[in-house]
Amino acid sequence: MKKDKLKIGIYELTGCAGDALLILDCEKELIDIFNAVNIQSFLMANSANIDEELDVALVEGSVTTEREIEELKDIRKRAKVVVAIGLCATAGGIQARFTDKKEWEKNLREVYGDVEMTHTKAVQSKPIDAYIDVDFYLPGCPISKEQFLHLFNRIVKGAPPEHYPQPVCVTCKFNENDCLLNQGKLCLGPITADGCGSICPNYNLPCVGCWGPLEEANRRSEYYLLQEKGFDIEEIKKKMANYSGTKLADFFSQIKKEKR
Amino acid sequence: MKKISVDHLARVEGNGGISATIDGKSVTDVKFSIYEGPRLIERLAVGRTPEEDVSITPRICAICTLSHKNAVLRAMENALDVNVPRKVYLLRELMHMGEMIESHSLHVYYLALPDYVGFPNAIAMASKFELEVKIALEMKHYGNHIMKVLSGRYIHGENPVIGGFGDYPSIEDLKFIKGRAIQFMPFVHKTVNLFCELDYPGSPEDDTLYACCEPGNNEYGFWGDEIILSTGKKFHRDDYKSLTNEFVVPHSYAKRSRYQGKPYSVGALARVNCLGDRLTDEAGKMYKKFFNNRWKTNPLFHNAAQALEILYCFERIPVLVDEILKISENPALVEYKVKNGNGTGLVEAPRGLLIHHYEIKDGLVDHSDIVTPTAQNAEDIERYCFIAAQKLLDEGKEEEIRDRMELVVRAFDPCISCSAHLAEIKHAPQDDWKTRLHQIHKSKNPIYIGIGNTDLGDDGTGIKLAAKLKNAGIPDVYLEKEIEENNKILEDNSGRPIIFLDALDHKENPGKITLLPLSLILNNTALSHRIIPLISEMMNYSQIHYGYILGIQPESIESGEEISPSVHMAIEDILKHLTN
Repeated sequence: MKKDKLKIGIYELTGCAGDALLILDCEKELIDIFNAVNIQSFLMANSANIDEELDVALVEGSVTTEREIEELKDIRKRAKVVVAIGLCATAGGIQARFTDKKEWEKNLREVYGDVEMTHTKAVQSKPIDAYIDVDFYLPGCPISKEQFLHLFNRIVKGAPPEHYPQPVCVTCKFNENDCLLNQGKLCLGPITADGCGSICPNYNLPCVGCWGPLEEANRRSEYYLLQEKGFDIEEIKKKMANYSGTKLADFFSQIKKEKR
Repeated sequence: MKKISVDHLARVEGNGGISATIDGKSVTDVKFSIYEGPRLIERLAVGRTPEEDVSITPRICAICTLSHKNAVLRAMENALDVNVPRKVYLLRELMHMGEMIESHSLHVYYLALPDYVGFPNAIAMASKFELEVKIALEMKHYGNHIMKVLSGRYIHGENPVIGGFGDYPSIEDLKFIKGRAIQFMPFVHKTVNLFCELDYPGSPEDDTLYACCEPGNNEYGFWGDEIILSTGKKFHRDDYKSLTNEFVVPHSYAKRSRYQGKPYSVGALARVNCLGDRLTDEAGKMYKKFFNNRWKTNPLFHNAAQALEILYCFERIPVLVDEILKISENPALVEYKVKNGNGTGLVEAPRGLLIHHYEIKDGLVDHSDIVTPTAQNAEDIERYCFIAAQKLLDEGKEEEIRDRMELVVRAFDPCISCSAHLAEIKHAPQDDWKTRLHQIHKSKNPIYIGIGNTDLGDDGTGIKLAAKLKNAGIPDVYLEKEIEENNKILEDNSGRPIIFLDALDHKENPGKITLLPLSLILNNTALSHRIIPLISEMMNYSQIHYGYILGIQPESIESGEEISPSVHMAIEDILKHLTN
């Protein structure tokens, strides 16, 4: 029986480790998770980690050092399926805000001065699909327990995970919240991927966009709608970039062109 | 040379390692490295509104997310002159208690305890400590529950904002929190007894300086507007830099801190050392019962201090909830105008003093500075690991070094670590000093300073070697007395490494050459005699960090001007190597 279990590795690149921590926080389900599959590598939970062939690799964190690029490529080589978990892995996370290389270099110098690092060289923060092919994405900062368990169940059964093609607003409506945009609050719900349970609007707070951009969303229209509502353009741009730097870079250059 | 290293610290938040290098009978290097890449959070905060930063900067760390939240809120509210209503203040304290309980119970039971009771991990430990393992998980879950109720979710909750909360917990939520706290009390007492009575090894042991927040009103607590040191000295929050003095080391993307050139410690042990006599009720009684001089010098007592703090939190929660329930009205968010100004927020994260500082200009954050506990502890982690490793090496117990270093690192409960899983000992190859000297030369040309007494036989080694290097035309070689006469040489070296040449008694065969970082010499006073006053008086901490000693094992330091043949050969060896 045991040999039939899927071999799974959970890996952490640069980030806050919140997604791995969230998996550990599935207290009641954790034992079932560990029983259902063979966890070959999970640094946060386990001391003896094996680095060999894998059925599924769950990768959290963005790529910020040369050492991590190598590590990631090695994971891809060993794993049949790679899933990006968490906003850092799916979209680059908050640290991917400096999309321009020069700007990033300048900021790196501001923090670390001219000290030459001996252990590993830093690179501009990018989501993992900048370096390898990714099979599935599970966004969120941090990921939600429900979405993770859904994905995990499907993977264990050998089925592709469900895709969530709706924005935060869908759940927000189910939760009967009063629309914050109508109250004049800059809420990113309409362009942000769903999965958090509309947690911020539930607490009367505008969505900050921590699930990253929703592919299907009409971002252009939202951008102009917010502008019509009288929000400052720079502020909208900045807000949108906070949690999805790399993924929104193309969109911003498109807007820039339209303005000209 | 051997290197003992723990390449991937497991069961940790993030990615790091610890290694010790052994050359014969000396530990020549200890490095606590953080492989975690740079995220430039301090720069990400720039150009953002204060509200956006309240959401972004706590994402530094998933485990301490609410400590970061409280720190950024306190900093922003100080900058914007926002005074939150009492109910908000108390709820934030309750939220913080949740994180303390979650983090401390996870650390002491799941990460630290297995080492002391002889099990490889918590799951294996369950065979003998089933009750402890189960209830500790419940306790952690309870901490998580408080965090979720108040912040909105387990990790990165957005409910706490500048001026208050988006929404408030119900009376039932609060009563449940209080009720559970009382239910846990018998187990909490058991926890304190267990961890305060554990048999902690005697090494490492050394004095250090402790720092934490001064909560004011002669109370124990987890935040304040001042920093207090174990010497009693206090700093206002805005003067935090006189304590932290951050600098960068090449083997880690986490910055380092030293106070007046010396490492210091933060965390539960620091809090108990600085504020323990203020604990009241049961926590006060337990403090009086268990606190002793070993808590002042042995970092392994971090575990005991955390257990004591768990008791403090469980005693504090019912009191807090009663006070919160007295205020029935849920206050609206405090209104404020974003204005120019600076603000610092001091908070005690579970693993120690956390500082957030922001400067706001034209509605946006113009500068930010975040000093984390693990960055402050890094220097002491290396120092204590060195002390432990060298002691075990002296006692001939090299095989115990790996485990002991893991124990030390874990005791500090560093955010990036907790438990080390891949420790290896690295032995230096023959003539390792040549390779390392070459590496130093590759970055920047060093300055050589010869020290010693030529009237005492081999003690004159450094002076003789320096003289020979000078004669051979090697640039920037000085003698001890030249430095004493003109300390400008040390001052104007623009970041170049300084290498002292000296006779160094490291219990080896006469003539053995070793290259040691200066920071290690400071922790091992047995090694060198003359160099200590020189470096402690004339060099600052970054120079010490980039300083080395190239030492030769003397054969005899009796009076006389003769140098032993073995030492003479070593001198020629170095001369030949450097002139090539």
